[in-house]
Amino acid sequence: MTATLDANEAVASVAYRLSEVIAIYPITPASPMGEHADEWSVAGRPNLWGSVPDVVEMQSEGGAAGAVHGALQAGALTTTFTASQGLLLMLPNLYKIGGELTSFCMHVAARSIATHALSIFGDHSDVMAVRQSGFAMLASGSPQEAQDLAAIAHAATFSSRVPFLHFFDGFRTSHEIQKLTIVDDATLKALVDPAAIASHRERAMSPEHPVARGTSQNPDVFFQSREAANIFHDACPDAVAAAMDRFAELTGRRYAPFEYVGHPEAERVVVMMGSGAECAHETVEHLTAAGERVGLIKVRLYRPFSIDRFLAALPPGVQSVAVLDRTKEPGSTGEPLLLDVTAALVDGLAAGRFDDLPRIIGGRYGLSSKEFTPAMVKAVFDELDRPQPTRRFTVGITDDVTHLSLPVDESFDIESPEVTRAVFYGLGADGTVSSNKAAIRIIGEATDLRCQGHFVYDSKKAGSTTVSHLRFGPRAIRSTYLIRRAGFVAVHDPGFLERLDVLEVADVGATVLLNSPLPPDRLWDSLPIDAQRLLVDRSCRLFAIDAYTIAEDHGLARRINTIMSTCFFALAGVLPRDDAIVAVKQSVADTWGKRGPEIVRRNVDAIDATITQLHEIEVGAANATRRRRPAVPVGAPDFVANVTRLLLEGHGDRLPVSAFPPDGTWPTGTSRYEKRAIAIDIPIWEPDLCVQCNRCSMICPHTAIRTRVFEPEAAAAAPSVFRSVPEGYTSEFEGLSYVVQVAPDDCTGCGLCVEVCPAKDRSQPKRKAINMAPAVEHRERERESFEFYETIPHIARTRIPVESRTLALLPSLFEFSGACAGCGETPYLRLLTQLYGDRLVIANATGCSSIYGGNLPTTPYTTGPDGRGPAWNNSLFEDNAEFGFGIRLGVDVQEGRARLLLGRLASALPERLVGSLTAPCSGDADQVAARRTDVAELRSLVGGFDGSDADDAAELDRLADFLVPRSVWIVGGDGWAYDIGYGGLDHVLASNRKVNVLVLDTEVYSNTGGQQSKATPMGAVAKFASAGKETAKKDLGLLAMTYGHVYVASVAMQARSHQTVKAFIEAESHPGPSLIIAHSPCIAHGYDLVHSPAQQARAINSGAWPLYRFDPRRAAAGEPPLHIDADPVSVPMRTYMREEARFRMVELRDPERFDKLVHAAERAVADRHALYEQLAQIRLPRQEEPNG
Amino acid sequence: MVDLTTDWLGLTLRSPLVVGASPLCDTSVAARHFVDAGAGAVVMHSLFEEQLIADQLAAHRFFDSNVDTNAEARSFLADTDVFAVGAGPTLDRIAALTDTLDIPVIASLNGVTPGGWTGYARQLQDSGAAAIELNLYDIATDIAESGDQIEQRQLRVVADVVAAVSVPVSIKLSPFYASVPSFVGRLATAGAAGVVLFNRFYQPDIDLESLDIDRRLVPSTAAELPLRLHALAVLHGRTRLSLASSGGVHRGTDAAKAILCGADAVQMVSALLEDGPAQLRRIHGELSDWLDGHGYRNLAEARGATALDNVANPHELERLNYAHLLQSWQPQRRGAR
Repeated sequence: MTATLDANEAVASVAYRLSEVIAIYPITPASPMGEHADEWSVAGRPNLWGSVPDVVEMQSEGGAAGAVHGALQAGALTTTFTASQGLLLMLPNLYKIGGELTSFCMHVAARSIATHALSIFGDHSDVMAVRQSGFAMLASGSPQEAQDLAAIAHAATFSSRVPFLHFFDGFRTSHEIQKLTIVDDATLKALVDPAAIASHRERAMSPEHPVARGTSQNPDVFFQSREAANIFHDACPDAVAAAMDRFAELTGRRYAPFEYVGHPEAERVVVMMGSGAECAHETVEHLTAAGERVGLIKVRLYRPFSIDRFLAALPPGVQSVAVLDRTKEPGSTGEPLLLDVTAALVDGLAAGRFDDLPRIIGGRYGLSSKEFTPAMVKAVFDELDRPQPTRRFTVGITDDVTHLSLPVDESFDIESPEVTRAVFYGLGADGTVSSNKAAIRIIGEATDLRCQGHFVYDSKKAGSTTVSHLRFGPRAIRSTYLIRRAGFVAVHDPGFLERLDVLEVADVGATVLLNSPLPPDRLWDSLPIDAQRLLVDRSCRLFAIDAYTIAEDHGLARRINTIMSTCFFALAGVLPRDDAIVAVKQSVADTWGKRGPEIVRRNVDAIDATITQLHEIEVGAANATRRRRPAVPVGAPDFVANVTRLLLEGHGDRLPVSAFPPDGTWPTGTSRYEKRAIAIDIPIWEPDLCVQCNRCSMICPHTAIRTRVFEPEAAAAAPSVFRSVPEGYTSEFEGLSYVVQVAPDDCTGCGLCVEVCPAKDRSQPKRKAINMAPAVEHRERERESFEFYETIPHIARTRIPVESRTLALLPSLFEFSGACAGCGETPYLRLLTQLYGDRLVIANATGCSSIYGGNLPTTPYTTGPDGRGPAWNNSLFEDNAEFGFGIRLGVDVQEGRARLLLGRLASALPERLVGSLTAPCSGDADQVAARRTDVAELRSLVGGFDGSDADDAAELDRLADFLVPRSVWIVGGDGWAYDIGYGGLDHVLASNRKVNVLVLDTEVYSNTGGQQSKATPMGAVAKFASAGKETAKKDLGLLAMTYGHVYVASVAMQARSHQTVKAFIEAESHPGPSLIIAHSPCIAHGYDLVHSPAQQARAINSGAWPLYRFDPRRAAAGEPPLHIDADPVSVPMRTYMREEARFRMVELRDPERFDKLVHAAERAVADRHALYEQLAQIRLPRQEEPNG
Repeated sequence: MVDLTTDWLGLTLRSPLVVGASPLCDTSVAARHFVDAGAGAVVMHSLFEEQLIADQLAAHRFFDSNVDTNAEARSFLADTDVFAVGAGPTLDRIAALTDTLDIPVIASLNGVTPGGWTGYARQLQDSGAAAIELNLYDIATDIAESGDQIEQRQLRVVADVVAAVSVPVSIKLSPFYASVPSFVGRLATAGAAGVVLFNRFYQPDIDLESLDIDRRLVPSTAAELPLRLHALAVLHGRTRLSLASSGGVHRGTDAAKAILCGADAVQMVSALLEDGPAQLRRIHGELSDWLDGHGYRNLAEARGATALDNVANPHELERLNYAHLLQSWQPQRRGAR
C-alpha cells in the first residue's frame, strides 16, 4: 500500500502503533508528530495491540522526558518526539534511560541548536549531543527511510535493550512529502518480538517483585556497573542488522548499518548521514555512470559505531575518504562523524585490514538547512582528487575569512529530464501549500510516478511567502535540494513580480502561470522589464487567471488554492486534463467534506469557472520601462544595502562569511526598509471627522498607522498629498498641528484602526474618520505623504502627557514587525517602547514575540531621534525569567560601580551635580532627561581628570550611562510563563529585584500552532485538548500575589487601554518585581481579529478575563493591595465563548458537553471573582519600623 | 374533564399546546418536563441552513486558512474529523427526542438553497421527525423582485419538500402577504398539510448613540395575539389545512381564544421562556378550566366557534370594523396651543 506523506506523519504512525504512552512537548519541526498522535488518540485509533495510546503534553521537554522515564519504568511501551533545544532538555533522562538499558525509541526531527542565534532549521547539532548517552542512534535520509527505520528502531530496542534515538533532518525530511510504501500492521507485528516486549514488562517496577533502581553508587561499584552494560552495546549493531534483515524479508526494502553506493572499486569515498546522503547518492550514481571511481557510505547506525561493519562496507582499494558532518564542534580536531571514521580507519590499519591509511578529510555542510546540492558533492570529490586536499573544509558557503570553503561549480546540474519540476510562489493564507500537498497526493494515487513535495516558508506571520517545490518522476527521487530549473512556475500573487525574482527558476520553455486581476490584453504590458526579458529569453509560455475574482465570486474570499491547482493540472499535463479535474474535485470533497457540503460546492463551482477563464498570454516584445521595485530604498544604511537587501531578495546564500557579525549581533531598526506592501486595503484619514483620540495608532499591531503633533512650520514644505489639521483637543498642544498617517507599504490591512475609530459622519455613519480603501488607489499618495511624515521633527517627549489618549503620540520604537494581521500582542510592546524605549532592555522568551521581534531578515525594534532604543535579546524558551533577572544583576552591579566611582570623585566635582546624580531618578521623562543632562555634564568633567583620579574618571566615563535608570523587561508568552519557564519565573518574582515581567497571554502555544498551555481556559479547544479543556486556567496572577511584594496586573489593552497604561506605569515605578498578564487576541482563538476589541470587552464583561492591579505599595499604606478594575457581570459567559471557534467547535460537536463546560467556566469565574472581591477588601496590619 | 385531544397535520395530539420552535426542548430532560406539563407536541429548534452555511464558512476560514501557512505551525486550531459543521447535532437531537418522548416531535427547517430545503427535510424526516415545519422567511430588499415572484419561489420550495418527504409538512408564515387566505390556498395546492400563523422576526431598532442597527429578539406579548386570531378566524372552514397559532399566547384564556378562532394547535415560546414547564402546566390548567367552565366537553366543540363563518356578527372581523374604529378614535387634545 502506498500513501503520500511527510516523514513526520509516517514516523508518528509507526511510533503510535507501537506505543502505549506518548509524552511530548511541542517544538519545531517535531511538533506535527505529537499532534498526529494526539489526533489519532482522540479519534480512538488503536495501537498494534488494540488499545488507544495515552498522549500527554507536558510542561517542557524535560518534563516529557521525566514522564517517559517513569512510563518506561512502569513497563509501558513508550515514545516521544522532539528536536533541538527540546532534545537538550531531555538529555539528563536519556542518560538515565540509557544507563538502565530500557527498551525505548524516540524520534527526532534534527534541528540546529541555538548558538549565536536560534534556527528552526535542520542539522545534526542536536542529535550529536546525545552520542555519549548510551542511546543507539539511527539516521534516515528520506521520508520512506524514516518510516522504515522507525519500525526497525522500535524492533531493535526490544531485542537489544538499548534505547534508540531515530533521527531525520528537520524540514528537509520531516516536512517533505513523498509517495511511500506504508509499513502495515502485519509487518510491524512480525517485526517486533513479543517475548522481548514481555521481558520489557517484566523488568518494570512492581511491588509484586520489588527491586530498587536508581540507587546512588560509590567509587567501589559505579565504574564496574557501567562496564557491565558493554555486552548490550556490543551486541546492538547485530540486533539492528537482524531487524533490518527481517524487515527486508517482510517488505523487500533492505537496509544495513552502513550502506555503500557507487563504483565497486571506488578510489574516492564520501561518508555521511541524513538527507544529504540522498543527494550524494544521486550524484555518485551520475558520476559513476560517467566512469568516475567514486562511492558513498551512508551511515545508518551511528551509535553504537561498529568499526567492523564500517570497514566491511568500505570498497577495497579506497584511496581517500571525505567525511561530511552536518554539525559544528568549534575547537575540536574534527566533527564527530569525522573522528569516528578516522578512528575506525586507524583501527583498521592497526588491525591489518589494509596496508595504507586512506587520506581522510572532513568538512561541514548544510548547517541550519543550508542547501546541499550535487554540485557540492562533486566539489568534495574534486577536493579528494587534488594532490593536497584541504583537510578541514566547509562546503555550501563562501568563507572569505578563514578560507575553508570549497569552490563549487554552480553549473553542475544532474537533474533528470524525465522528472517534472514545478515551483509555486504563494501567500501563506491563500492555501497554496495545502493544495500542492493535495496535488501530490492526486498524482501519487493516479499514477505510478514517484513524487516529492518540499515547502519553504519565510518568517513572516502576516503576508508570508511560501514556495512549493514539486517533483514527479518515474524513479526514486533523491533530490534533497530546491528546484533550480522548473518546467512549470506558478506565481499565485501578482505582488511577487514586484518584489522577488520569482521567474528566475523558470527553465527554457517553461510554462509560467500568473494570477492577475488584469484583463489578458493588458497583462503583458503591465509586467516589469525584468520579467518580460526573462520570459522572452527563455521562450516561456505565459498563462493568466484572475483567481481572486473567481474566489470572491464563489464566496471563498482570498482562498485561491483550488483555482490555482486546477490551472496547474490543466497546464502541466502530468495527468489527462479531464481526469485531473475530476481528481481535484474529489480531493476537495475528501479534504473539506468534513466542513460541510457548502464548502465543497463552492470550490467545485470555482473549479468549473477556472477552466473557462484561464488564458494564454502572448509573449510579446520586452519593451517595458518599469523595473522591479528595489528590495530596499535608495539611501538605506550600508548594512541594509549590502546585507539585508540580499536577504530580502532571497539571495542570502550568496553572502560570504565576512558579511556577518561573528557573534550574532545585529543592527536594530531594519524593518522600516522592508516594504512588503501586502495590504489590499489601507486606512485613509478623513481629517474633517477626526476627534484626535489616537485610538487608531494605539491599537495598530504593526505601528503602521501613526499619529503625531508637531510645530505647524514643520509642514511648511509639505507635499500637497500631506494633510494635517490644527490640534484641537489637548490644551498642552495648543498651536500645534495634528496628523494621522498610514505607512502604506507596512500596513497589513487588518482594519483594527477603523474598527476602533469612534468618529462617524452623522449623516452617513458608515463613513468614519478613517476608512479602509483600496491600496492600489491610494498607495502612491500615501507613500509620498508617509515619507514626508517621517521627516517631521518630534516635539519634546516631556511635552506629551503620559496618559492613555496622548501616549500614542510618543515615538514608537517598535514598528512593522512580521506579526499576524490583527496581532493582539504587539500593541503592548509598542506601548512599552513608547513609555520606556530609550532606556529599555528586553529579555524575550522564544515564541511568537521572539519571531516577529527578532527573526531575520529584519528587526522591528528601532531607535528614536536620539539614537537610543530598546536593546533586545532572546536567550531560550525555558530560561527567560532568569535571563532577564541576570540582566538586572549585571545592570545593577555596573550602576553600583558607577556610584562608587562617583563617590570617589565627588570632591572634585560640583556638589550640585553630585547631589543631582545621587538623588533618586523616578523614570519620568523629565527626570530622565535631566539625568541625561547631568551625565553629559559629568562626562565632560571627568574627561579632563588626570593624575591619581584618571583611572577612576576614565572608568566612570565608560559607566556613566548606568546612572540613568534602566528599565529591564522580561517578555514572553503563556507557554513560557505558565509552563516551561514557570519555575524560573517563580524564583525571579520571589526575589526583590526590580524586574518587570510582561506575559503576552494568548492562552495557547501560538508560535508552534495552538497547543494547550496551562493558560488555556476551561472549555477551549486546543491541540492536546481537542474536546475542550476540562480544567481551569492557571491563576498566575494570584500565585504571584501570594508573595505580597510583587506588583501584579491583569490587563486588556484593546478594550481598556487606560487601565493598561496605568498598570505599565505602576509596574515600572514599583521598586520590586512586577508581573503584567496581558490578554492577547490571537488567530488561534478562531475569530476575525478585527473584532478583537469587542471580543476582548466580552471577555472582560463575562469575567473570562479579570482586570485588576495588585500594588504592594497600597498594602504598605494600609489600603487593600488589590484593586479590581472590572466587574464581570454584564455579558453571559456563553455569549463570550460562542464568538470564538475554539469554544464554538465544542458546542457544534457536543452541545451538552459545551453546556457543562460553560457552567463550569461560569462557576470558576464566579469563585475567582469572589476570592478577588475578598482580597480587594483586605487591609493588612501595618508594619511598625523596629526601633533602634 | 374536557377532552383536549386534537388533530394537527394528521397527527393526534393529546393537547393542543405545542412548544414552538426554540431551544426550549434541546435536551431530552427539558423536553420530558414539557411533556409532563401537558405539551401535545414539541417543535425543535429550527435548522437554519444559512446558519449551517455560515458555520461551514467560518470553520473553513478559521481552520483551513491557517493551515500550512507557517514553518512552525501546521495549523492553529485543533482539528479532528470528529468535528463536523452541519445538521448532525440537530438530527441527533431529534433522534434522541423521538426515542424518549411519547408525543410527536416536529422538526423546523429554514433553508436558503433548493437542494438545502429538500436535502435537510429528508434528513429531518429520517431522524424521526413526525412532521416538518418550514419556516418561510423572505425579507424583500430587492426592488426588482415582485411579491408574486417571491410567492412563486416559496410555493416551489413547499412543493419540492412535500415531494421529497412522506411526513406532513406545515408552513410557518409571516403575516406580510397581500392575501394570506389566497396564499394559504396555494400552499394547500402545493401539498402543505398545515400553516402556523405567524412567524416573528428579529426587528431592527436603532442605537441612537452609535447610529447602528440594534438587532434583538423581543419576546412576544399578548398584544400580538389579535393579529393571529384574525387570521385564524378568516381561514377556519375555508381551508382543509391544519391551523396553528404562534405568538401572543401567554395564558390559558389566550389559548382558548386561538382555539375559538379555529386553531387546531397553539404554539408557545415566549410564554415559556421564564418559567418553562411550570408555566405550560398553568396554561394547560387555565385552558382546561375555561373550556370546562363554559360547558365544552372537547376541543372540537370550541374550535372555530368565533371564526368568521360562525360568529354572530362576521362584519366585526372584516374591513368594516377597521373603519368604525378609525371613526371612533378621536385625537386627544394636549393642552392649549
